[in-house]
Amino acid sequence: MTAPLLSVKNLTIDYIGETNDFRAVDNVSFDVAPGEVFGLAGESGCGKSTIAFAISRLHKPPALIRKHSAILLDGRNVLDLDQKDLADFRWREVAMVFQSAMNSLNPVLRIEQQFYDVLRTHKRITRAQARDRTAEMLRLVDISPDRMRDYPHQFSGGMRQRIVIAICLALDPRLIVMDEPTTALDVVVQREILQRINELRRKLGFAVLFITHDLGLMVQFCDRIGIMLGGKLVEQGTADAIYRTPEHDYTKKLWASFPSLHGGVLR
Amino acid sequence: MAFLLRRLCFYLAAFVAAATINFFLPRLMPGDPVQIMFSSAGAELPPESLQALKLTFGFVDGPLWQQYLTYLGSIFSGDLGRSIKYFPLPVTTVLGNALVWTVGLMGTATIVSFALGTFLGILAAWRRGSLFDVIVSVGAIFATSVPAVVTSLIVVFTFGFTLGWFPTGYSADPALDPAFTFEYLGSVLYHGILPMLTLCAVLTGGFAVTMRNNMINLLGEDYIVMARAKGLSDTRVMLWYAARNALLPTVSSLAIAIGTVLGGSLVTEVVFNYPGLGNILYQAILARDYPVIQGQLLIMTATMLIANFVVDVSYVLLDPRLKRA
Amino acid sequence: MKTSSFPLIHNRKAMVGALIVAFILAVAIAAPLLTSYDPSARVGRPHQAPSLEHWLGTTRIGQDVFARLVYGARTSLAVGFGAGLLITIVGTALGIIAGYRGGKIDEIISFFTNMVLVVPNLPLLLVLAAFIGQASPWVIALILGCTSWAWGARVTRAETLSVKQKDYVKSAEMMGEPRWRIMTFEIFPNLISIVGINFIGSVIFAIITQATLEFLGLGDPKVVSWGTMLYAAQKASALSVGAWWDILTPCFALAFLGIGLSLLNFAVDEIANPRLRTGNRLGRWSALIRSGEGRL
Repeated sequence: MTAPLLSVKNLTIDYIGETNDFRAVDNVSFDVAPGEVFGLAGESGCGKSTIAFAISRLHKPPALIRKHSAILLDGRNVLDLDQKDLADFRWREVAMVFQSAMNSLNPVLRIEQQFYDVLRTHKRITRAQARDRTAEMLRLVDISPDRMRDYPHQFSGGMRQRIVIAICLALDPRLIVMDEPTTALDVVVQREILQRINELRRKLGFAVLFITHDLGLMVQFCDRIGIMLGGKLVEQGTADAIYRTPEHDYTKKLWASFPSLHGGVLR
Repeated sequence: MAFLLRRLCFYLAAFVAAATINFFLPRLMPGDPVQIMFSSAGAELPPESLQALKLTFGFVDGPLWQQYLTYLGSIFSGDLGRSIKYFPLPVTTVLGNALVWTVGLMGTATIVSFALGTFLGILAAWRRGSLFDVIVSVGAIFATSVPAVVTSLIVVFTFGFTLGWFPTGYSADPALDPAFTFEYLGSVLYHGILPMLTLCAVLTGGFAVTMRNNMINLLGEDYIVMARAKGLSDTRVMLWYAARNALLPTVSSLAIAIGTVLGGSLVTEVVFNYPGLGNILYQAILARDYPVIQGQLLIMTATMLIANFVVDVSYVLLDPRLKRA
Repeated sequence: MKTSSFPLIHNRKAMVGALIVAFILAVAIAAPLLTSYDPSARVGRPHQAPSLEHWLGTTRIGQDVFARLVYGARTSLAVGFGAGLLITIVGTALGIIAGYRGGKIDEIISFFTNMVLVVPNLPLLLVLAAFIGQASPWVIALILGCTSWAWGARVTRAETLSVKQKDYVKSAEMMGEPRWRIMTFEIFPNLISIVGINFIGSVIFAIITQATLEFLGLGDPKVVSWGTMLYAAQKASALSVGAWWDILTPCFALAFLGIGLSLLNFAVDEIANPRLRTGNRLGRWSALIRSGEGRL
């Protein structure tokens, strides 16, 4: 295996209460190779979103990342970045798609402006250049560039999620974290979006950390999968191995509770 | 556009409701309504003037609905009757002269305190739990819970009477002629600054708390988190993602707050002996000058409705989701 | 979870607020024990400065200011709580009915609510009070109750709309419980924090407004209350003749009571909506960051 793009090591995250703490992520380690799709599965509240937030250092008090944790991107520890480097690192190297497609876009700013915000922050770029780049990105996700002056509420849920993905791609990041990106969408739209992501991934070569509670979807979409339970990563392996020869009891139970799969593998 | 049109119709209905209260009140009182309305005039009014006043207020021979229509007719033709205290000046003239001062005082105070309060609220919410947040929140509690009349009296006592820094009455030096000279305008500013600041002290806290709470309720939204993940600067996220959205509910609560602003400016004017509506009204109450008392309700209501409409328009401008509806 | 059963006790704002209000209440009840002067009688020379004999001086006509202060507390509190209760009852009832019944009933109630909200309150009260003449505190309380319920009704309605969707309401409906029972026993108990905020807010509003109306000369000047104290002092030009005790006494009393009640109100608000809380809950977190146990 080549050197990993993302390497999470002994990640432990607590939520600090007034008297006692809640351990949301407990000593989790995993690697994601360049261009790979790595899935994190588990029931809600198992800590998978907490990991996603930690990678871009989005946590706020009372969350606390314990010492000895490390999140290495290309060998650089994200947790050591100062404010300026962190601002630089965000989105340029790791972009993120959030749980609810409907609410990820600022309702009072035009789509164009929300692209421009990213481009302007990270690149020296003129309005006109930014507009060209925006049009290019929108075309990638099949949205007509002349709609860039519209507001988010003028798009459907699926379109909004595609716009978010387009914004993710604007800086050619190495890794995109997708936190339940399709949960709020209906099945058909869900499939379309995942297919699109896959095509783009082949074309552009970014890696994906894919987070969902939907195991069926995960097996179709991911190269490798980690299963989480109560903040711990209890099992990881190739999608095939997790599907055919699960080792941990919890993984077996998950499959037992799951109706048999329909449809081919998305890859 | 349809939204604004609907609001306009509603405001018209509200104005008619205020007029209806004016119409029925003297008629619901025990005794002769004409007697009640013009009692303080005594025998001083010439009979034909009294006759004209009766007509204005709908005291005509005929069924109640006819009287009502007569009254509405005179209001919508801009005739609010004549003041009894300042007879023969029409109520509109008496109130109109005062309204200029009140709107000036109220307008500047509202703009200043809304801007300041909103700004403090944004910062407090952004640094929630910090010392700054505690100071703003607790300060706002103190400022909003003290009646405007009390704040005004304490301010006028301290800065007017005790320290003597500011005048304690009038809108300008009475020795000066009203004109667009530096001297006169400077005097207007000097006389207006203390009542204006008092009103700001009364209002700022409320705006700050509203904005703070609206902001805090928004900070968990996905688009805020995404803005941070995009690597935008803190200021950019705070102002263009959080505050810009929190401003919407704050602006709509401004509409309700305007009532408080009006009430506050009435008492502040009385305390500062400032020649606005509040003061005219105070004099009218002491003299039981009912046409003026009734007229102020209509003028105040109209002011409030216009202010509400301005808020509606700015809301439509601020929220792209409303533009098409 | 011991902390959540008596949340008010663990909230510093609530405790300070409750102490202030309790103190004023105690003073009002114990008024005859605290002073031997009759608050309305002329007991000294006019406008005497505070002294051992008259702790807070005398008014323009020689009444004892301290006696008026402690007896006036009775009126201000009684009107405040009386009118506050009335405002809350009307607002809550209309809000629940509009929110729960929906349809035409909701439209009518909401229309009136919005209308009352855009007619400026104080000018309306001035007109009403002016026609009634020298209104006694009880009449003031009554007209406050009739004109100031709109804000509470709007907030309660909004909250009712969300409670209405809850399963226990649905199941009560299925079981065929009568509407009034659902409104009183299923919905009302779940609105208790909104009702509490509405009540305290209304009490503050009533106290302030009563004082304002009386200050503007629309009250009965023979009644002893903080508002009539302000009125009499203003009319006697207490400030320009230097009799600050005459006018500042009711000022500080009103401010003190207002602050006490507001602290209570904010505390209830924070408990109902924990996100709004200020203060030290991050103490342990900051300590851990400082000791290098972790970071963000």
